[in-house]
Amino acid sequence: MRQVRISVLACLLAAGFFLSQVATGDDIADRARKLHFSSIVLDTHDDTTQRFFLKDFDLGKRNPDGSIDIPRMREGGMNAIFFSIWIDGRIMGPPAVQKALDQIDLVHQNVIKYSKDLAFCRTAEEVRQAHSQGKIAVLIGVEGGHMMGNDLHVLRVFGDLGVRYMTLTHFYNDEWADSSTAKPEHNGLTDFGKQVVREMNRQGIMVDISHVSDKTFYDALEVSKAPLIASHSSCRALCNHVRDMSDDMIRALAAKGGVIQINYEKSFIDQAYKDAQDKLSGGVVGMMDQIRKECGDDPECTEKKMSDMEKQAVAEGKLPHVSWERIIDHIDHAVKVGGIDHVGLGSDFDGANMPEGMEDCTHLPQITEALMRKGYSDEDIRKILGENLLRVMEANERVSREMQAAQ
Amino acid sequence: MNPKWPLKMLAGVGMCLSAGMVMAGTMSTVGISERAKRLHFSSLVIDTHDDTTQRFLDSGFDLGSRNALGSIDIPRMRQGGLGAIFFAIWMPSKITGPVAVKRALNQIDAVHEQVRRHPNDLEFVTTADGIREAHRKGKIAALMGVEGGHLIARDLSVLRTYAALGARYMTLTHTGNVEWADASTDNPVHNGLTDFGKEVVREMNRLGMMVDVSHVSDKTFADVLEVSRAPVFASHSSCRAICDALRNMTDEMIRALAAKGGVIQINYHVGFLSQEFRNAEKAHPEWDKAIALEVQKRCGEKEGCQLIEGDQITREYVLRGDLPRVDWTKIIEHIDHAVKVAGIDHVGLGSDFDGANMPFGMEDATKLPQITEALLEKGYSEDDVRKILGENTLRVMAEVERVSHELNATK
Repeated sequence: MRQVRISVLACLLAAGFFLSQVATGDDIADRARKLHFSSIVLDTHDDTTQRFFLKDFDLGKRNPDGSIDIPRMREGGMNAIFFSIWIDGRIMGPPAVQKALDQIDLVHQNVIKYSKDLAFCRTAEEVRQAHSQGKIAVLIGVEGGHMMGNDLHVLRVFGDLGVRYMTLTHFYNDEWADSSTAKPEHNGLTDFGKQVVREMNRQGIMVDISHVSDKTFYDALEVSKAPLIASHSSCRALCNHVRDMSDDMIRALAAKGGVIQINYEKSFIDQAYKDAQDKLSGGVVGMMDQIRKECGDDPECTEKKMSDMEKQAVAEGKLPHVSWERIIDHIDHAVKVGGIDHVGLGSDFDGANMPEGMEDCTHLPQITEALMRKGYSDEDIRKILGENLLRVMEANERVSREMQAAQ
Repeated sequence: MNPKWPLKMLAGVGMCLSAGMVMAGTMSTVGISERAKRLHFSSLVIDTHDDTTQRFLDSGFDLGSRNALGSIDIPRMRQGGLGAIFFAIWMPSKITGPVAVKRALNQIDAVHEQVRRHPNDLEFVTTADGIREAHRKGKIAALMGVEGGHLIARDLSVLRTYAALGARYMTLTHTGNVEWADASTDNPVHNGLTDFGKEVVREMNRLGMMVDVSHVSDKTFADVLEVSRAPVFASHSSCRAICDALRNMTDEMIRALAAKGGVIQINYHVGFLSQEFRNAEKAHPEWDKAIALEVQKRCGEKEGCQLIEGDQITREYVLRGDLPRVDWTKIIEHIDHAVKVAGIDHVGLGSDFDGANMPFGMEDATKLPQITEALLEKGYSEDDVRKILGENTLRVMAEVERVSHELNATK
């Protein structure tokens, strides 16, 4: 009886404890939701643009696959997005330019089509305005210097068309910069590459050093008059991938006022996954090569193949499971190394393999909650969610105005 | 233009000619009545076709300083009271596909760069209101037109890109057919506009780009007129009734264009103004070849040089007495004829400066006040003169904008 009473008491105590825990948990979850849905949540890298070419894709409807569409952005509180303009890095010259224009136009056409939900933005101020009007801010980044056809006129035209960053390379070297995933041939940036960086500064196009070789990164950092961004890169200290940034690089980027936007790709955030993938397919570039052989330029096929190959390998145990919480590890590490003002989000949604629990943008509120649980202040979380990137955009706009006035 | 010569010139002759032009330039408002001056310099004078763009890509050219050669620069536009100018984005018809697209972007950016370089004199605008606003601020309105459908590489995204970059008209063809429209100076293969060509016209309507029927075949013109929801215009064509060139418009075409609210912008090219000149050219095809050869010799592949030198060399033939001398007053004849055929609301100016052979007395933009003077002398009212100088073009632009808003609203 006594024992029973004790156990009942224990149960009650435990229940009470549990209840209070739930109450505390709900409180944080609630605060996190409020914070998340009142913040500018900006993602600097989404490959959804490729899906605009698919017959069955409609940005305005909830799609069964992929990670981004308007209903899901609304649900996940993502209210600013950089659509990536991307083609294979081996396509160069005029054909690359025309393909880039096609994609830029598709982004604009989608904004026109869904003007009730979307607003095209060229400045940080416009992003804030869109947010205050309850619209999703749409911006454009060009992922790879190969698309400008080795021609500063084209670069400026990109700027005129609303492009607000350009990643200097993709997987392959372009005519004037080395990539992290190709054999170096320019020793970083060539003289023309440096001119490209200066012209980007003049036009207010942010210099994106994701994808570039370490030497290209340091060259760009030295040449650029404005802060740089890594639109979608994670931390090499946690996952030793050339696409990620070393602590030294993160510090140098931060010292110049820049920001590293954490990439959610599994092989960039999880060492075990990366190691297994390297063994399996020769890494992400090797995998893309294989897919290209099978799919050519067909985006539908490419997307499906990529996803299928990956899912199958995970199911067969050839690739380990990766939790979305690794994203938080990378954010936290980058904050510790670079400081709270120098980290943001660059998912790589619709262009990479998302970790479990971050299948699409509806999961973004988890990031806010996880950071809150880690003890981040509301202000710090807002910085990571979007304010840091907006600050870098503003700095780039200021440098552009100064350079144009000095002409 | 037109000839758009496939060619450089003996330095001595060039220097003599340019010296003559500079002198003529400084004297251009001499002999112009006070009334004409007052009217001209208070009006919005718009030129819808100038090939000066080609020179922007040649090293050393600056729109901001008075140039010895060519017809257009800021000082001469100021002196001639030219208030708004459409820079043509052009390349030969044989250049197509992505290469044409990239080259078009170079020219479009070169126009933007000139405007960025001269912010006190130029303002880049894309609307009729924009032109008026620039004019009020004492700036020259800079606009762009794409001369030739081959520049879109059969890709509506590229067409929309040009519109987004500020192009406000597209000439459907240049001298050669494009994949979807027949040109007036090529063998017809599409019987006018293809289905895709019609889609291009409709998309231009939606984008608020004026559909330009200069250079297209008569059948293409008729098709366009039927398909277009907005008035169409001829950015640089003259009257076939006076000079029987396929590049000019018949009276019937001018009437049809006017009936739909459009405007014909008179081209100053001597081969389109004067039947006599045309006949002489036809009688001696070997001169045309010789001129082309000389142009090639002087310029190589530099289009900007080719256009300027083509004009200079032709002028030498005239000075030698081989080709007849055509006076600038021929322009007035064409204006007057078009007005008689279509009405005062449907005629404007599309010089083809820096892309064609200018008549004597209209060597450059400084000579424009003569047009105002001549029209007043002919008895045109001040209101009518203003219409021809620019108001008609502005009306068509505004109407094209209205249709665009409407089409976008009903989407």
